[in-house]
Amino acid sequence: MGKGAGIYSLSIQDIEKTFPSLNESGYTVTSPETTDYNCIAWAANQTDAWWWPDSFNLGYWPPEIPRKESIDAFIKAYGLLGYVICENSQLETDFDKIAIYIDSSGKPTHAARQLTNGRWTSKLGQLEDIEHNTLDSLSGSEYGTVSVIMKRPIIKK
Amino acid sequence: MTYAVMTSKGSKKWEPVQNGGVAVGEDSSFIHNEYKRSAEHFLLPISRQWANPLTRFLTLKAEWAAETCHLSSITEIAMNSAYQQIIGMGTIAIPFILSELKKNPGHWFWALKSITGEDPVLTEHRGRVRQMTEDWLRWGREQGYIV
Repeated sequence: MGKGAGIYSLSIQDIEKTFPSLNESGYTVTSPETTDYNCIAWAANQTDAWWWPDSFNLGYWPPEIPRKESIDAFIKAYGLLGYVICENSQLETDFDKIAIYIDSSGKPTHAARQLTNGRWTSKLGQLEDIEHNTLDSLSGSEYGTVSVIMKRPIIKK
Repeated sequence: MTYAVMTSKGSKKWEPVQNGGVAVGEDSSFIHNEYKRSAEHFLLPISRQWANPLTRFLTLKAEWAAETCHLSSITEIAMNSAYQQIIGMGTIAIPFILSELKKNPGHWFWALKSITGEDPVLTEHRGRVRQMTEDWLRWGREQGYIV
């Protein structure tokens, strides 16, 4: 694979090869790559830790939530932040929405957060943050499919 | 021509050896090692290159990074076959991993914990890659892996 500026960097072509629908549906790279946080943290608007409930106790995980790589544990973790399951990914002006992806065995793989313009923002593992127009553009062999949409009221300042 | 040579001393420690009493800096050592690795890469058959632990580590690291850099799951990142082969290298991989961590903080903690059976990461640093890196580098210095 081609290399970009960073140690883990894929070239744009390689990102599009990994996620073939991205180019067609449209996306923008919005940050440099970093290992400081991952998509699960980014969906929760956190950038200070890598969230994951691994059995080796390496990732950050809310201590109140079972440390299991299951969709239930992820729903509970986001529930702590005020998110509840909702029916669809349509933009609602008074709500933040997130989407959780799972693989074919039901394990969570990825999370994305909806922006106020209706687009979605995702952190691609150790790579960059991107904005993408559709949730389906990241579906496929790597992240699987969207399993759950959650929302919480936007707190107006 | 005088080169600094990285060699094992005792069971763990790696130190620059000064040839003919000429002190050689870290940069020169790096250049020498890269030169040596490039020469070996060009001249040696693949089977013998693989026998060089540093070459093996760098090859596996590149494969692992390319295959997992877009993943969030620490478990998936660590279960990658190249990563597992690095773990399989055992203690000989520790200096390479710590050197890599020093340059690029990343997900080497599963490997270090597996190989050493230790966990120097403070509970409050869990998930914070830069702080976890500092904890492991401190451990590396204490254990004599980092000079």
